[in-house]
Amino acid sequence: MTPMKGLTVFIADLRKCRSHEEEERRVNKELANIRSKFKEPNINGYNRKKYVCKLLYMSLLGYEVNFGHREAVDLINGTKYSEKQMGYLAVSLLMEEDSAYMQTVLSFLRRDLHNGIEWNTCLALSAISNICTREMAETLTSDIVVQLLSPSASMFIKKKAALCLLRLLRKFPESVKAHQWAGRVIPYLGHRDIGVTQSVVSLVTALAQQFPDETRKAASFAVRRLKSLVLDNEYAIDYVYYKVPAPWLQIKLLRLLQYYPAPESPEVRAILLNILRHIIDVSQDTPRELQQMNAQYSILFEAINLGIHLDVDQGLMQECAVVLGRFITSRETNVRYLGLETMAHLAAYIDNLDSIKSHQGVIIQSLRDRDVSVRRRALDLLYSMCDVSSAKVIVSELLRHMAIADVTLREEMALKVAILTEKFATEYSWYVDVMMRLVSLAGDHMGDEVWHRIVQVILGNEELQVYACKISLQTLRAPVCHESAFKVSAYVLGEFGHLIANASDSAPIDQLKALQSKMSSTSQAARAVALTTVGKFINLFPEIKTLCLRVLDRYRGALDAELQQRACEYYALGTLESEDLLPTVFEEMPPFPERQSALMSRLLKRESDTEDQRTWVYGGRDINRERRGLASGAANSKDGSQEGPDSAETPSTPTSAEAEAAKVPESSALPVSAAADIQAVTAKDDAGNAQQPADTMPIDESVAKSRRHYARLLWENDGILYDGDEIQVGIVAQYKPPAGRIGVFLGNKAKAPIYNISMQAISADASKLAVQPATGQESVPETLMPLAQARLFFDASCLQVFTSAPLLRITYTVAGAPTVSELQLPVTVAHFMDPVTISVSDFFTRWKQLGDAGIGESQNVLKSAFLSSDAAALEWLRSVVGGMGFALIHGADPDPNNIVGVGIATTQAGRFGCLLRVEPKPSHGLTRVTVRATNADVAQSVGSNIKMVFESR
Amino acid sequence: MIRFIIVQNRQGKTRLEKWYGTYSEQEKQKLKAEVHRTVASRDQKHQSNFVEFHNHRIVYRRYAGLFFCFCVDTNDNELAYLEAIHLFVEVLDSYHGNVCELDLVFNFYLVYAVLDEMILAGEIQETSRSVILSRLEHISVLE
Repeated sequence: MTPMKGLTVFIADLRKCRSHEEEERRVNKELANIRSKFKEPNINGYNRKKYVCKLLYMSLLGYEVNFGHREAVDLINGTKYSEKQMGYLAVSLLMEEDSAYMQTVLSFLRRDLHNGIEWNTCLALSAISNICTREMAETLTSDIVVQLLSPSASMFIKKKAALCLLRLLRKFPESVKAHQWAGRVIPYLGHRDIGVTQSVVSLVTALAQQFPDETRKAASFAVRRLKSLVLDNEYAIDYVYYKVPAPWLQIKLLRLLQYYPAPESPEVRAILLNILRHIIDVSQDTPRELQQMNAQYSILFEAINLGIHLDVDQGLMQECAVVLGRFITSRETNVRYLGLETMAHLAAYIDNLDSIKSHQGVIIQSLRDRDVSVRRRALDLLYSMCDVSSAKVIVSELLRHMAIADVTLREEMALKVAILTEKFATEYSWYVDVMMRLVSLAGDHMGDEVWHRIVQVILGNEELQVYACKISLQTLRAPVCHESAFKVSAYVLGEFGHLIANASDSAPIDQLKALQSKMSSTSQAARAVALTTVGKFINLFPEIKTLCLRVLDRYRGALDAELQQRACEYYALGTLESEDLLPTVFEEMPPFPERQSALMSRLLKRESDTEDQRTWVYGGRDINRERRGLASGAANSKDGSQEGPDSAETPSTPTSAEAEAAKVPESSALPVSAAADIQAVTAKDDAGNAQQPADTMPIDESVAKSRRHYARLLWENDGILYDGDEIQVGIVAQYKPPAGRIGVFLGNKAKAPIYNISMQAISADASKLAVQPATGQESVPETLMPLAQARLFFDASCLQVFTSAPLLRITYTVAGAPTVSELQLPVTVAHFMDPVTISVSDFFTRWKQLGDAGIGESQNVLKSAFLSSDAAALEWLRSVVGGMGFALIHGADPDPNNIVGVGIATTQAGRFGCLLRVEPKPSHGLTRVTVRATNADVAQSVGSNIKMVFESR
Repeated sequence: MIRFIIVQNRQGKTRLEKWYGTYSEQEKQKLKAEVHRTVASRDQKHQSNFVEFHNHRIVYRRYAGLFFCFCVDTNDNELAYLEAIHLFVEVLDSYHGNVCELDLVFNFYLVYAVLDEMILAGEIQETSRSVILSRLEHISVLE
C-alpha cells in the first residue's frame, strides 16, 4: 500500500498539538471535513480509503467516530486490494456486531471467499476471524470448511481457514455444526507445510475437547509429526528459530497430546517416551543466546507437562523433578517462575511427594522473591504440595508471610490457608487457632466467604464447638479484635454459648458483656450479627433476658435500617406473651450440608477462565484425581454446548458443578439468616444479594442484541423475528395449549424479486413438539416482488415438554444467489402456558411445597434493565409476566414491587403448574427471578425466557 | 489463547491494540490503563516477563521505549508467547527497516496487516520470518 500523504500530514498535525484541547479542535475540524467529503457524490476510492483511515486513527485515539460505516462497506466492495483491506479493517474496528451494514458485509464476505482471487479470500478469512458474528458462523462455516479442505487452496488460505473456524467454534459452538467436519480436519495434522499444520493443531486442540471420538486419530498424527521434527530432523529450514526447529509447532503438538490418554500401543508409547527423553536431554546444556534458550525451555516445559499428564514412566518423572529442582534456584527469573509453576503441576499428579518436599526450603524462600509473579507461583506450589505431614509447617509459614505479603497476594493467600487448614486439620484446636489468627491477620483482604466457611465448619463439627466458644470469648476479650473475628465469635457464642456457660468467667452475663464491649467499635454489618446473637441469648439464657432486651432496645432507634429492623423484631419476639415462638425462631442451626466449599469454587472459578480447558489445577493430587474422574465421564457426553468466555466450564466438569453450588444461597450458614424463619423473603434477599456480585456472569452482549427480536416474541404474540437487507420475517402467533398456530410473514426488502421461496419449520424432536404447515391454506408463491409479502401458517402441537425451540428454514434466490436463512422460531414450552388464578395463601403453600419437593426450580439474578423504581419499568415487567401467560396474584408479596404469577403449561402428555416470582431491586440494579414448576424443564424454559427478555430490553 | 495484544510506550500511550475477544469500549480503556500500570512499574532486570492480570497473564517484553504485551490464558505456554513477541518485533523490524515507535504510529494500519499474517483468532498462525515477509512483500505490491 502506498503511503497516503494526507494521512501522514494529519497524524503529524495531531502529534504537534500541545494540549488536549488543541488536539480536540484539530480532530473536530477533520471530522467536519470528512463529513463534507463523504457527501460529495463522486469521491474516488483513494480518497475514501484515506478518510476512512483517518477516522480509524481518531477512533484509536479514543475519539468517538459514529459515521463512515457506509464508506467502509463501499471500500470492501471496491476492486483494489488496499481499499478492500482498509474496508475490512475499518469494519472490524468501528462497527458493532449488530450494525445494519453487517448484512451487506456478509454478502461481500461470501463473494470474496469464492471469487477465486487468493488474496481476497485471505482478506475475507481474516476479516471473519476479526469480526465474527453469529450470522457468519451460521451461514459461512461450510464455505470456510470447503476452503480448508480444498486441494487447490493455497497454504495461506488453509492456515487462515483453520484459525477462522477455531474462532467461530469458540464463539458460537452451537452454530458451526463441528461434529460434521471435525473428523475431516485431522489428516491435515500431517500436512507438509509447517504453517498449515501449526494452525490446524490449534483447531484440533479445541475440537479434541468437544469431540474426543471424532478426533481420536489426532493423537497418532501428532506423535508422528513430533517424531519427524524431534527425532528425524525433518523440517523446512525456514521454520528454524534460533537453531530450534519449529518450536511453536512442537509446543502445540505437545499440548494437543495432553487432551488424550496415553497411547495404548506399546510402540507409540515408546516413540513418545523417546521424544520426551530427547527433549529433556537436549536442554541439559544451556545455550548462551537468550532466544535459543527460551525456545528450548518453552519446549522442555511443555514436554514435562505432557510427561506428567501421561505418567508414562516413573524414572522420567524423577528426572523431571531433578531438572525442576535445578530450575527453581536458577538465576533467570523466568526460569524460576516456570520451574515453580511446572513443579506445581508435578505435585498435582505425582504419587510420592518426597522429591518435591526436598525443595521445601527453597520454595518457602521463593515467597520472598523479588518478583511478585514468582512469589505467587511459590504460593501455588506450596498449596499444591501440602499434605498432612507438611501442613503445619506450610500453614505457619504462609501465616508468617501474610503480614508482609503484597496486598494483591493476601486475599489469595488467605483463601489458600483456609482451604489447607480445613483439609489437613488433625486437631480441632489447631483449626480454630489458625483460622482465628487468619481472620485477624488478613480480615481486611478477604471476602466474607472465609468467615462464613469457619462458621459452617464449626456448625458441622460438634467436637469443635466447645473449644470454638472458648476461643471466641477470648477473642472478644482481647484488646483488639478484628471485625471478621468479631463476627465469627458473635455467631459462635449465639449458637453454642450455652456449652460453656458453666465454666468460670463464661457465665451468660460474661458472654454478653464481652460481646457488648466490642460492639460499639465495629461496623454496621458486624453489629447486625451481634444483634442476632443477643436475640439468641434471650432464648438460650432466660436469666439475662432483661439485659438483652435493654441492648436491643437501644438499637430500636438505630439510624441504619437493618440494625433497626433486627432490633425491633428481636425485641418484639423477646417481649411476646406466647413462649413458643422464640425457641422456634432461634432453634439451633442444623449442621451445614456438605458440599463444595465456596472457597474452593472461588479459586477454581478464577483458574478456569481459559479458552482451552485446563488439564490440571493447582491443589495437589486429590482434587486433580477427582477432576480427572469427572472429566473422563464428561468425555462421553458430547453435549458441546460450550459458551464463549466460559468454555472451560463444560457442563460436566467439576467447575460448573461448583459454580452451581456456589450459587445456592448459603442461607443455613449465613449468620444474617437467623431471621430466615421469621420472614423468609427478606432473609433470603440478604443471602441472595451477598452472592450476586460474584456470580452474575458477563453476558455476551452481541448475542443479546441480535436476539432482541426473538426475545420480544417470548412475551408478545406478534412482532418481527428477523429484519435483514433482503428479507423481513414477521410472526403472528395464537396459542390454545397444547396447540398453537404460528403465522410466518415473509416480506421482500430487496430491490429485486425473490424466487424459489420455501419455508420449513423443523422441530428438534418431533416426538415432543410437532410443527406442520396448516392445512387448507394457499401455498407460498414462488416469486415475491419487492415490498410484497407472503405468509404461511404452521400448526404447532406440544406433545411433551420440549427443550429446544424449532428452526424456521427459509430458502430463496435473490439476484441469482441462492440463500438459506435459519431462524429460531419463538416457540418454547413456556408458550403453552395458561394463566391460573389462585388465592394468596394457596400461592405460598404451593410455593413452599414446590420448593421442598425440589423438582424444578430456576433462579436467576438479572441485571435490571432499569435503574430506578419508575412506574413504567414495573409496568413493563408486569406486562412481560402477563404476556408470558401468567396470572398476576396481587397483594401476595409483602413488597408491592414484587410480582408473583401462576400459570399452567399444557402438553398432550400432561399439565405442569408453574409459579413465578420476580423481585426487582432497582436500588441494586438487579432483579431476581425465581420459577418453580412441577417439571424441571418447564421451570428452566420460563427462567431462560425471562432472562433473555431482560438481556434484550 | 491470546486475549489481546497491547503495545504501549513508557508514558502509557497505546501504539497498537488488538482484541481477540469481545470487549466494550469502556472495558478496553480500562484494560489499557491497567496494563500500563501493571507492566510499566515492574523492574526489568530482576523480574520475570510474566505477570498475573485478572484471571489471565500478561507476557511482555520491552524494546527500547515500547512494551509489547500479550494477555494470555493461565494454562498457556508463557515462553512460547514471549518468543512470539520477539518474532513479531523482528518481522516489524525487517518490514520497516529498523522499526521505531513512529513507524507504528504513522503506519498503524499496516501493523494490523502484519499481525494478521502472524497471529489470527488469538492463536499463532505463521512463525517463519521469511514466509511472513515474502507474503507481506507480495501483497504490498498489489494495488
